[in-house]
Amino acid sequence: MAVIEVEGLTKAYGDTLANEDLDFSIEAGEIFGYLGPNGAGKSTTIRQLMGFQTPTAGTARIFGNDVRNDRALRGAKARIGFLPGEPAFTPSVTGREFLDYQAELKGDERRDELLGLFTPPLDRRIREYSTGNKQMLAIVQAFMHDPDLLVMDEPTSGLDPLKQEAFHDFLRGERDHGTTVFFSSHILGEVRRVCDRVGIIRDGRLITVEIVEELLARGGKQVRLHTETPLTEAALDIDGVVGFASEGREAQFTFTGDYDALFAALADYRIVDIEIDEPPIEEVFMHFYGGDAE
Amino acid sequence: MIETTRYEARQRVRGTLAFAVLLGAFALLIIYLYPTIAESSADIDALIESLPESFREGFGAETYTTIEGFVAAELYQTVWVLLLGLYMAYAGGGLLAGDVESGRLYLVLATPVSRKRVAFEKFLSLGLPIVVLNVSMPLVVFGGTVAIDYPLDPYYLLVVHLLSIPYLLVCSGIGLALSTILDRGDAAQRAGLALVFLLFLLDSVTIGTDVEWLGAVSPTRYLDPTEILLHETIDLVDPLLLSIVAIVIVLGSLGHFQHRDL
Repeated sequence: MAVIEVEGLTKAYGDTLANEDLDFSIEAGEIFGYLGPNGAGKSTTIRQLMGFQTPTAGTARIFGNDVRNDRALRGAKARIGFLPGEPAFTPSVTGREFLDYQAELKGDERRDELLGLFTPPLDRRIREYSTGNKQMLAIVQAFMHDPDLLVMDEPTSGLDPLKQEAFHDFLRGERDHGTTVFFSSHILGEVRRVCDRVGIIRDGRLITVEIVEELLARGGKQVRLHTETPLTEAALDIDGVVGFASEGREAQFTFTGDYDALFAALADYRIVDIEIDEPPIEEVFMHFYGGDAE
Repeated sequence: MIETTRYEARQRVRGTLAFAVLLGAFALLIIYLYPTIAESSADIDALIESLPESFREGFGAETYTTIEGFVAAELYQTVWVLLLGLYMAYAGGGLLAGDVESGRLYLVLATPVSRKRVAFEKFLSLGLPIVVLNVSMPLVVFGGTVAIDYPLDPYYLLVVHLLSIPYLLVCSGIGLALSTILDRGDAAQRAGLALVFLLFLLDSVTIGTDVEWLGAVSPTRYLDPTEILLHETIDLVDPLLLSIVAIVIVLGSLGHFQHRDL
């Protein structure tokens, strides 16, 4: 049975459709990435899943419980860990006091283990916390009652790169133990590294749900080249070059093909500088899902 | 059982104690002045008599020749009814809207507790200032009047405090209601202050006029410390009415909060 089933989920704020007729489901034991640019409607979906907002039409079920039914959803919440986007806390309490309170509400059998991995300064008041410390505190509370399902909104925002990697490792370990994870992100690279499947949302509509290998093939990398003699698109006659643009001896394109072919084609050129990077998500949308990403 | 109440109440301890000390100090100052007034040859009661009725009624000033009349007017009608009423409305306004606005409430509501319960437990945390102040104030006031050798009757003093609890709950409830309706925390708190103050004014200015009935919507009309302290009359109907109103406001607020989008 699917852990999360979303059926025709629609949320309107006045005339604006923040979510439009969403359909997808998340199976037990998978990491599902919910990818989309800022303002695409990711947080709106999450708020409806958690019962904070009522769908305008359609619904979703978590562990078989309809999110519109507060009483049923409340029962399921004991098995859910939640991490909101930009988590906020009462500034005057210490991290420890906050965790003690959360423990009273839902349990904390894994608190100590988590505090070995994520290290917010527990005895300081939260008003003194950096963004990264707040995020770590929120991560600890999300996992400390050993939930079966994690619902997280941009979980790595504010974490330094090392902690991000530690978090991704931790997430994979949890998945291997059967935990289901649903998280939103606007960073393609992050979703690629940790997810099994990815749902892509834009302007409130679900564009596609794919397994991550397909996305890898479609997503590509952004390549920036500085060559000694100008490089032309015609000279770079290989598969997988998209959106080629050049200016003097600088060239830039998205590459979805085979790296060996790329380097073979570049062998005739003297390369001054090369940069191969994650494409910004807007680029991915532009090239692979049509339309302009504003 | 009452995790949220305990968590919230702990955060109110310092503010409550500070307020208790401040109110206590002010009460002692007022009481300390009394012997000078009582022994002065000036006819203060004549002066009071010459004031407009709404002013006299609004501040409960009837007579300053007895300690009861003086304390009722200078301390209870103003500081207690108005200032504490405003404080409770302000505190009530801060219960939910600010937490919703900042997103703090998400982390609480993601746990297996109902919204109604969280909201009600937060409301219960206002019991801390209500209880602490209703214990500290009569002690300070009674001690002060004993010290200046004009002791108040402790029985009626306690009755004033006991019967002011429903009134304070109504003021807190007004704040809670605003906190469930409005989206911004500071807006709910300011609206709570403004509304209770306007109701107090409405009650005061309509007294003795043709539209006196208009002031009947104000909770301040149903609490009269002067009547209890000076005239030693205890009316239980008004506090009962206030209690019912408080219950209706709180239940209505909880019902609305349960179903709104956050």
